Amino acid sequence: MKCKQTEKYLLKSLDERLNPSEAIRLEEHLDDCPLCQKRQSEYRIVRETLKEESFPETKPYFWERLQPKLKGKRTIEPWTIGKQFGLRAIPLSILVVVLFTAAVFLFVPSPVEELDLSQTGVFLLENLNPLEETQSFLSEEGDVNKHLMLIFSSLDETDTIRRYFP
Amino acid sequence: MDEKDMVRRSKEGDEEAFGFLVKKYKTKVYHLAYSLSHDAQAADDLAQEVFIKAYYALDKFREQSEFGTWIYRIAVNHCRDFLRKKNRMIQIPFENIAGKISAEEDETLPEEKEQEEAKRREIIHTAIQAMPDKYRVILSLRDIQDFPYSEISKILDISPGTVDSRLHRARKMLRKKLEPFFSKKGEGHEM
Repeated sequence: MKCKQTEKYLLKSLDERLNPSEAIRLEEHLDDCPLCQKRQSEYRIVRETLKEESFPETKPYFWERLQPKLKGKRTIEPWTIGKQFGLRAIPLSILVVVLFTAAVFLFVPSPVEELDLSQTGVFLLENLNPLEETQSFLSEEGDVNKHLMLIFSSLDETDTIRRYFP
Repeated sequence: MDEKDMVRRSKEGDEEAFGFLVKKYKTKVYHLAYSLSHDAQAADDLAQEVFIKAYYALDKFREQSEFGTWIYRIAVNHCRDFLRKKNRMIQIPFENIAGKISAEEDETLPEEKEQEEAKRREIIHTAIQAMPDKYRVILSLRDIQDFPYSEISKILDISPGTVDSRLHRARKMLRKKLEPFFSKKGEGHEM
């Protein structure tokens, strides 16, 4: 193993992150390399010095000094509440929309289409005899009356072929 | 008391609940600020500012991480800003300081171990302060504060692999900076 790789292992060893085979290789190299022994010693001194760092005590009344700086400044904006819950509301809203659409398709009956019925159809739907009127025309005595009544009754017909021509 | 409940109550504007969180994390935040600034007064000011910032940013805390991780992240970023401003004003000439200390040691070797350690600590801290911010921060979190890798990764919002490589470079850089001191000491002491 070269010294460069040993340095990598030395650094890993500071956090005890070497696996057993790496630890053995490191030991073997250190036995024969005074330069890496020196480096190991240096790293250890620095690490231990930093670890044993003594910190001054926090100054007294930390919270008491902090509290007045917080008072009355923070207002909870209504839009921030919306923002806070906004992201969580997205999947819920999607679910609600999907369920509502499904409910509309499943339970609401489709509207009945308006039928384009002929006059005969309308009579039949209303349970009336469609020939009743025609029969009354045909039962007329005079030919002129018969023809005139048939002509007038067929004037409503938009389709000219179906109009009556004597 | 449940921390999540305290966070929820703080968000609703309950100062007492926020006070509970402050009391729980003030020491760690203060130590973090101190390890980066190495100045007790500045560390106290920084810690206070960190909690003020956190208080007004509570609505943005989405509780995807622990409250502790979130507050440390604010602390690290705030201390970084402080260091950036401070570094613009004062550049620490580490080489001069180290040279001076080494020269003094040649003349009068410290008798007591305690004094020797204090001097060593001073040199190491001066060397750290002369390093780039990102290396100072990672050394502080790992080697001084003893945070686990996973926590550092969350605080700095970097991958564990980046934590590993950055820490590796930081330690290497620090040792290089201290090399002149070590070589002199090595002749007569443990090296």
